[in-house]
Amino acid sequence: MNHEHPVSQEELMAYGDGQLQRDHARQIAAHIEFCAECEKAIADAKFVSLRMATWQAEKAPEALARSVQAALEARPRRKEWKSAYGWLTKRQAIAYGFGGAIFLMAAYAGAFLLFRYNEMREYNSAKSAGLAAPSEIYRAVPFLPTAPPPGGPPAPPEASAREQLGQGLAGRLQVDKTFSNSPSGPMIIRTVQLALITKSFEDARTRIESIVLESKGYVDQLSIRSEPKSPKGLSAVLRIPDGNLTSSLTELRKLGQPKEESQNSADVTGQYVDLVARLSNARNTEQRLLTLLRDRTGNLKDVVAAEGEIARVRESIERMEAERKNFDNKVQYATIQVELSEEYHAQLQQTLPNSRTRIYNAAVEGYESASDTMLGIALMILAEGPAVLVWLAFLACIGFLGWRLYVSLRSRQRSQVTDPV
Amino acid sequence: MQSDEQLMLEFKRGSKVAFEELFSRYRNPIYGYFRRRLSQSPRAEELAQETFIIIIRGAERYEATARFRTYIFGIALKQLWSERRRELLEARTAEESTEQGPNPDPTTGLWIRDALSRMDADHREVLMLREYEQLSYEDIATLLAIPLNTVRSRLFRARSEVRILLDEQSVKEVSR
Repeated sequence: MNHEHPVSQEELMAYGDGQLQRDHARQIAAHIEFCAECEKAIADAKFVSLRMATWQAEKAPEALARSVQAALEARPRRKEWKSAYGWLTKRQAIAYGFGGAIFLMAAYAGAFLLFRYNEMREYNSAKSAGLAAPSEIYRAVPFLPTAPPPGGPPAPPEASAREQLGQGLAGRLQVDKTFSNSPSGPMIIRTVQLALITKSFEDARTRIESIVLESKGYVDQLSIRSEPKSPKGLSAVLRIPDGNLTSSLTELRKLGQPKEESQNSADVTGQYVDLVARLSNARNTEQRLLTLLRDRTGNLKDVVAAEGEIARVRESIERMEAERKNFDNKVQYATIQVELSEEYHAQLQQTLPNSRTRIYNAAVEGYESASDTMLGIALMILAEGPAVLVWLAFLACIGFLGWRLYVSLRSRQRSQVTDPV
Repeated sequence: MQSDEQLMLEFKRGSKVAFEELFSRYRNPIYGYFRRRLSQSPRAEELAQETFIIIIRGAERYEATARFRTYIFGIALKQLWSERRRELLEARTAEESTEQGPNPDPTTGLWIRDALSRMDADHREVLMLREYEQLSYEDIATLLAIPLNTVRSRLFRARSEVRILLDEQSVKEVSR
């Protein structure tokens, strides 16, 4: 290209061959309209092509057609595989089928996890409301004509025997809401968290023990921290009779400067009443079963079933009884969580280990740290490796399917291009 | 009219008619490709036959990722290279090896064959693919695995050489 001809000789040649982009070709066309020299260059190139075209190779001999036709006939019959839809090849069908199976597995796993999650959530909500395992309360006695609750176990096939044995009874378990141990007042569980900073740790500790003794409570848990270059600390869980809570708290606050204090009260009257009602019903059920077992005669299978049911109800009663005692204990004894810290006074360490010992200790700690790290990596690979492999396989399948789809679409697109020559 | 790629895909699915159509389109170009580059006519026929047989046998694996024209001439090019290697291995005479372009007894295009035989092999191949096989610059670049600009420059130089030889030829004719 020079200042007189804005296009190069090669571009002119490409223009003459029709091998330039449309815009570029338009520019050159506009130029050669006024440039005889460039027009001549294009004509020269075309002249060369025309002269070269005078060398024509002879036509292909007929023998070539015959030999190729023979090869075509001898070609092994293609293993046609068409699905019901015709357009699927075998490879595509396998790939899609495999992908579909992976997708279904993932969907099934997701649905299962969702189901388990909902189940756990319902269970936790029932548990927090004090209705743990409601099926234990409402489950039908096997040989009584009791309609199971919705979602409960299906009726056993021995329904006729049960009807026979159940005649004369109420025919259905009635939830007996009357109970004898109903609380006289509200059932309140009190919890107090108290954090203190004391000047004299040993005195404070001794004083805590005396406060607990004076209030007729007990120490549920006690731990003391004592490390060099750090202040001493004490964590204790004290159980104090509810009536003595206020006086005990007053005494505890005198041990040091309060750092943090919080009080919580939980009203569990409803839960307690419900628990006592369920307990009463379970006892009634047990009595009825015992009476039934004693008065009625049945075959061995029915007797074994009745005894099994009695054992189950008995276990349920004991569990609820323990729960009731736990409630009583928590209501009667308030919980005080005490965090006691000593005011820190830094002190010079008199006996520093020598350098050799310190280097040895550092080396041992370094070795332990390195081995722990390696062990941790190995454990992580063992724990997470299979899951990662499964995910990689899943993603590889998805990627493979995507690639297949891309190639298929590209092939179709290219096949629609008309051959310009 | 169906494109070459569509026909090849139909052949892949089992249609013999599609292949026959493809063969009718390419039998002369492929034969001509070999005929212009080899001195032996039977050998050109054999290689053309081999090219079509390779297409028949490879139809199962065919994917329309490139133009069919490029695909078939790519096979032909590899066949030709194999032939050249075989010729070298068989230690043919220097006379034969330098005479790789011309046809012994054609009545036309003698000066063209002469010009091509003098030309650099790379330039000659690009020129012949463009002039006789009518491949686009892009197809030639794909086929020879060279950049598009290289195709353009080689083609320009080759044509310039031919043009010079053509002028010399004209001067000789006038002087006679």
